[in-house]
Amino acid sequence: MTLDWLDAFLISGLFEVVVVIGLGLLLHLQLGLTRIANFGVVGFWGVGMYTFGVAYVQVDWPFGDPWQYLVCVAIATVVAGVSGIVVGWLIADLDTDGVLLGTLGFAAIVAIVATTEQDLTGGALGLGGLRFPYDVGTVKANELLWLAIVTVVVAIILFFVWRVHRSPYGRLLIAVGGNEPLARSLGKPSYRTKLWLFAVTSAGMGLLGAMYGVMVRFLELSNLGVEITLAAMVGLVLGGTVRVWGAVVGVILTVGLFDILIQSYLPLPREWYTQAIPVLREAVFGAALIVVLLFRPLGVLGDMRRDRLMRKLHGK
Amino acid sequence: MDFLIQAVVIGLTEHAPLVLAAIGFALLYRLTGLINVAYSETITLGAYFGMWANTTFGLDFYTVLLPAGLMAGVVSVATYLLIFRPAKRRNVGVLEMIIISFGLSILLRHGLQFVFGYPVRFFDVPPPNTIDVLGVGVSSFRLLALGSVAVVAIGIYLFIQRSRYGLQIRALASDEELAQVSGIRPLAITVLIWFIAGVAGGLAGAFYGVGSSVAPLLGWRQFLYILLVVLVGGIWGLRGVMLVGIATGIALAGMSLQFDQVLYAQLVLIVGFLVVLKLRGRRLTEGAKV
Repeated sequence: MTLDWLDAFLISGLFEVVVVIGLGLLLHLQLGLTRIANFGVVGFWGVGMYTFGVAYVQVDWPFGDPWQYLVCVAIATVVAGVSGIVVGWLIADLDTDGVLLGTLGFAAIVAIVATTEQDLTGGALGLGGLRFPYDVGTVKANELLWLAIVTVVVAIILFFVWRVHRSPYGRLLIAVGGNEPLARSLGKPSYRTKLWLFAVTSAGMGLLGAMYGVMVRFLELSNLGVEITLAAMVGLVLGGTVRVWGAVVGVILTVGLFDILIQSYLPLPREWYTQAIPVLREAVFGAALIVVLLFRPLGVLGDMRRDRLMRKLHGK
Repeated sequence: MDFLIQAVVIGLTEHAPLVLAAIGFALLYRLTGLINVAYSETITLGAYFGMWANTTFGLDFYTVLLPAGLMAGVVSVATYLLIFRPAKRRNVGVLEMIIISFGLSILLRHGLQFVFGYPVRFFDVPPPNTIDVLGVGVSSFRLLALGSVAVVAIGIYLFIQRSRYGLQIRALASDEELAQVSGIRPLAITVLIWFIAGVAGGLAGAFYGVGSSVAPLLGWRQFLYILLVVLVGGIWGLRGVMLVGIATGIALAGMSLQFDQVLYAQLVLIVGFLVVLKLRGRRLTEGAKV
């Protein structure tokens, strides 16, 4: 089988789509179900990415890959999860304004620490030395295998989200997100629910950040901008914040459009790709958020079909 | 003592635009309860409009403040009429409203690059003189900026607190229906407040821009600090916003001197504010609205 059509641009475009779908799914649990507006997705993803990078490059491990890789990814995921607990503790009992401030503040703190601690993170110079935890031949083969592995991880996240929708835990999340005082008055531990959900989903974002770091192989501060938060949010909002497949559909329509269709298939002048297209991409994403929330607030897929789902599950 | 004087002088002169921007943001927040993330682009656009008037027509910096402020005010009103008002009429929730303003912020930040170009731009102004203030050298530019900020900030404060329109604005903020019964036209007053907030943001942007450079991220870089100042200072009304804004500027300058690194100062400040936010809990943010 020849894979000539699968060039480096297409692989990186597909990778971007898959990773953003993963982030969008996790954001769906936070924003769509539990109504925690996390504007600092990049903070948790960045913590995962940089913790992994620092642990992998700066620590002298007594064992090599793949164990070195697995240990470093585990550390990155745990650190992102712990950050989720700290930030969750801070914001779980605040209203939306406080959540915005707390999550934005956290993302800013991550960016500042990554810049100032340059002995560890490389600061503005960047951090190199990351590599795939295996070698199956060519660069392309390595990247394809990595794309496949990350796709499996994101598929597991999708399955998890699908299960949550069908579980008592999912109903708890929806209850807490829909009417927190009511959920609390019914004896549901709303604070603890939000805190743990935030911790677990933040750990997931950190895991994806670490896996992204392996693919790009060189960590730069520009990764810590607002772009990744925006991509996950616009994908989720466009697809449908409350639907399991919302992030998948939305991210394919947005990031897929720009990073795959426009990047690889449209015959546009090359010089457009350096500045015009990336700037246009962000502007269109911003406009999409406004238009969708004004004219179709529930996104392409629409509202949750709880009644139908419950009838199907309980056979009534 | 020298350190303190240095911190106060540098803090006041360098971070004066923060106070102005925070006042504009707080006005919107108090009236509508809306956290308008796109306010950061009102600031950025103020800098761009000022730079454009300065470099295109050769106007000096103090003349360009007028078009910069007015144009930013008009953009602010346009965003209200085209986006936030329709959104409110469609009963969009608080969370969705913030996401809409986030989207608008991103749209404006990138859209303006198609109008003003991608590279970083600069004001074309003569190099400022250095003036000795209590033993600290300050550029004449920043000193005059501080004076202008003080005049504008106090002007807005007096307008809100003392004038007839100010009274109507405050009435509308505390009880919209009662204000309407009293003969206040909500649309006109709301437009007025978006305009004033826009002017304050635009002027702050022009001061920021002339002090360094004019770039798409200019306003966004300040947004977190504005939000911190308004959410914490807002409990004590506009005066609180001004005082916390000034204190923030001095604290940033003092810590920057101490740590020899601006980023550490910002780090301590953000963590400090977040701890205050947590300690005050829900009361803080709710209290900041009325």
